[in-house]
Amino acid sequence: MDKQTIFDAVQTIFRDNFDDDTLEITRETCADDIEDWDSLEQINLLSAMEKKFGIKFQLADVRGLANVGDLLDLIERMTA
Amino acid sequence: MANVYLITGASSDVGIAFIRRVIQPDDIVIAQGAGDLSGLAELCKSYPNIHTYDVDLSDAAATDLFIQDVAQNYPLPTHIVHLPALRVINTKFKNFDEQRFLLDLNVQIFSAVKICKAFLPKMAKAHFGKVLFMLTSYLLGVPPKNTAAYVMAKSTLQGLAKSLAADYASFGITVNCVMPSMMETKFLTDTSDLIVQASAEANPMGRNARVEDVVPAMAFLLSDAASFITGVTLPITGGSAL
Repeated sequence: MDKQTIFDAVQTIFRDNFDDDTLEITRETCADDIEDWDSLEQINLLSAMEKKFGIKFQLADVRGLANVGDLLDLIERMTA
Repeated sequence: MANVYLITGASSDVGIAFIRRVIQPDDIVIAQGAGDLSGLAELCKSYPNIHTYDVDLSDAAATDLFIQDVAQNYPLPTHIVHLPALRVINTKFKNFDEQRFLLDLNVQIFSAVKICKAFLPKMAKAHFGKVLFMLTSYLLGVPPKNTAAYVMAKSTLQGLAKSLAADYASFGITVNCVMPSMMETKFLTDTSDLIVQASAEANPMGRNARVEDVVPAMAFLLSDAASFITGVTLPITGGSAL
């Protein structure tokens, strides 16, 4: 799956999860940038991505994610 | 005295473990499941007094027929154990599915109401009966986000249990509940592993509940030793919810 396709899908998941159709994410976007992005929302985001991309994260995989860029890279590796 | 157990949701991991723990040679077990009854089939090989029903409790007419058949063909239940629920779907409230919620209410609530209406008045006349419902620790304190349907259904079931406990205590009937924290069973099939792992990490005992944590508590509340305990909900959480 190419980077842009992954990015677009992740963008859609963020917009849906945070009920904000205008939300624009970048590789640098992190939890500090989105008010409602707490640990539970993080799990909801990741669960939605598991469904979208047909992958299974482990806690160890996602614990070190610092921003959207790290997340995109992880999904890219797991769908390669 | 031989017991007659009417168990709904008996094909669940908890149901099967419960039957294994409590069944005595002369007991009769009426075991309802829906769809996959393979676990019960194994038990039936060892215990010929287990009678299985494959009934979709979300179907009101099927539930009525099931209750009618049980009433006609078996002695009055001494124990009612109500375990069924549709699997938890973690979803934002904006995506709340009313149709699925109605199905879950049929499975969890209306089936319990119908079963209790059919048998509790007769149990009252017999001055003996024990009822147990399966709840969830999500009812303790702040529930997790995105579980509105599950929490609402279980809250209603708890209300039913307390009402029945009040109505039937004078007849010697007990109605109690257990509320385990997240339990690692096939019920979690639709729950992300991440949620399961995060729950285990957050638990003070470092793990999720197991069937073997919950079944002994169920057996106790349904035993003669608990004859003066009614209307209670016993948390089985490892300290994760108090």
